[in-house]
Amino acid sequence: MVATAATSSFFPVTSSPDSSDSKNKKLGSGSTNLGGIKSKPSASFGSLQVKANAQAPPKINGTTIVTSPVEGFKNEDGAGSPHPRTFINQLPDWSMLLAAITTIFLAAEKQWMMLDWKPRRPDMLIDPFGIGRIVQDGLVFRQNFSIRSYEIGADRTASIETLMNHLQETAINHCKSAGLLGEGFGATPEMCKKNLIWVVTRMQVVFDRYPTWGDVVQVDTWVSASGKNGMRRDWLVSDSKTGEVLTRASSVWVMMNKLTRRLSKIPEEVRGEIEPYFMNSDPVVAEDSRKLVKLDKSMAEHVRKGLTPRWSDLDVNQHVNNVKYIGWILESAPLPVLETHELSSMTLEYRRECGRESILQSLTTVSDSSVGDLVNVGEIECQHLLQLEEGSEIVRGRTQWRPKYAKSFGNVGQIPAESA
Amino acid sequence: MRKLHLIWVTARMHIEVYKYPAWSDVIEIETWCQNEGRIGTRRDWILKDVATGEVIGRATSKWVMMNEDTRRLQKVSDDVKEEYLVFCPREPRLAFPEENNKSLKKISKLEDPVQYSRLGLMPRRADLDMNQHVNNVTYIGWVLESMPEEIIDTHELQTITLDYRRECQRDDVVDSLTGPELVEGSKIHGTNGSATAITREDDLDCHQFLHLLRLSSDGQEINRGRTEWRKKPT
Repeated sequence: MVATAATSSFFPVTSSPDSSDSKNKKLGSGSTNLGGIKSKPSASFGSLQVKANAQAPPKINGTTIVTSPVEGFKNEDGAGSPHPRTFINQLPDWSMLLAAITTIFLAAEKQWMMLDWKPRRPDMLIDPFGIGRIVQDGLVFRQNFSIRSYEIGADRTASIETLMNHLQETAINHCKSAGLLGEGFGATPEMCKKNLIWVVTRMQVVFDRYPTWGDVVQVDTWVSASGKNGMRRDWLVSDSKTGEVLTRASSVWVMMNKLTRRLSKIPEEVRGEIEPYFMNSDPVVAEDSRKLVKLDKSMAEHVRKGLTPRWSDLDVNQHVNNVKYIGWILESAPLPVLETHELSSMTLEYRRECGRESILQSLTTVSDSSVGDLVNVGEIECQHLLQLEEGSEIVRGRTQWRPKYAKSFGNVGQIPAESA
Repeated sequence: MRKLHLIWVTARMHIEVYKYPAWSDVIEIETWCQNEGRIGTRRDWILKDVATGEVIGRATSKWVMMNEDTRRLQKVSDDVKEEYLVFCPREPRLAFPEENNKSLKKISKLEDPVQYSRLGLMPRRADLDMNQHVNNVTYIGWVLESMPEEIIDTHELQTITLDYRRECQRDDVVDSLTGPELVEGSKIHGTNGSATAITREDDLDCHQFLHLLRLSSDGQEINRGRTEWRKKPT
């Protein structure tokens, strides 16, 4: 109908039914049938209740616009939503007005684009301030980020730190918008009462393609149970324009008493708070079951000593932020690897936290390099250890690197003449 | 500019923050550039809280043109100027229109002996830009590294002015020095023949400091700065 045609030019990615099907397929590694997940009863979900293949009504300047009649859907305030049947009868006039507004807006945008300093951002109209929203039966949180000029590295692609910060930000925002945030970061109200906090124990990330300056990435995140007393958080990062998958990540969390610093089972009250949000899909990154080796100095080919946290590396609790550890690990990777290769995947095990006064060292060893077959020509694998100078282990890791620009060399089987 | 191998380099940066935004606040930044005398250009910013419309900060910066091969400053020729002036507002407009505002204040050089210091700072890989030079923002971090902890823990940065003198490269090691700024007109009285001055530290809510970043190796100045701190709002 006319209204849908006009609005789909306005919101090209999201209002057509086809695109939401492809989104369903993306979540979980292909083996999840999201249609089969039963709708959880709405605890205190945040403000929206949506069906799997409908989009939250977009708002322009505070007015809610209904793009197509959807059964059983409520808008945000639950107020003033007209009965679908009556509304359809009124559509023709509304669509003309909308078409006129669209034309004016697109004309203005065209003028901006000619000056080439304002990138076109249709997604801004849906989530104008980029604070993210709950989608998909209330279980998935989605937020877009544009890649800023100060977030890219020397080769103009987004830095690992930038991408990891997106994962952290969406995780916290998910908890916040689901009403699961007690005081402080990431602890539910019941957890706060019992002095419990989540701590990450394991992180696996696969970098399929790095976004560049000006790209807008869409980050989807959700949680599932992990064993009896753990939680898994998954992320799927895609290019908001093309839908191409850029990054996949999976993390495992356990509960710890923040006073005793001992691990804890999940108490029943907390289980009641968080279980309604568990999606229980398969992990988005298949678990890398190879054990992570503990390096010692005799094995390490590269050692970087004297790493100390800067004042700006500390989080709200005066602890070094998880993302900084990754920076230190990469800091000590051999320079020839960093110059010619990009990180394709990493697996990290978090053993112990460190604070401001810690002095750390980062050890790296290169595993058998370039033993891959034609598909994995030039791939390098490294083992890492980040430890306090007096020996306590902070993080253990394994990274895989592929030659930069490997993807642009086309078909499998073609050996590039020279790696960049 | 590219044809002539010219690049812009920051000469001075002055930022005032009246109210710090918090997580999930939305702020709006307005920025524009304009001609500044014969050798430079200025870029100004105004930061506003979108929810309340109030101005939460202002900033101004001065840029000069440098030849990237000779690393020497160069006057801006008219045709280069015209290329970018097209994008600048026609009417002169300043983020700091008031007379004698702090953005114009001269910064004295901090002399030894210095009260606070943090020595041996080295650029991390993440601090380097595409040209292997230390990014401007990293300097601000280094300047703050030598601030005394008693101030950093209880106060927030209200104003910072930085004069960029010399660029810093990957293998350079830098010392960060900080000392209280003596207020003009403060009394100097001697005790046992040595001069001391009353500083504004007597005023517990506001503190002013001078800063110097210099190469560890030969003491050459990289940049100098001035900061003002106010007590954190409770």
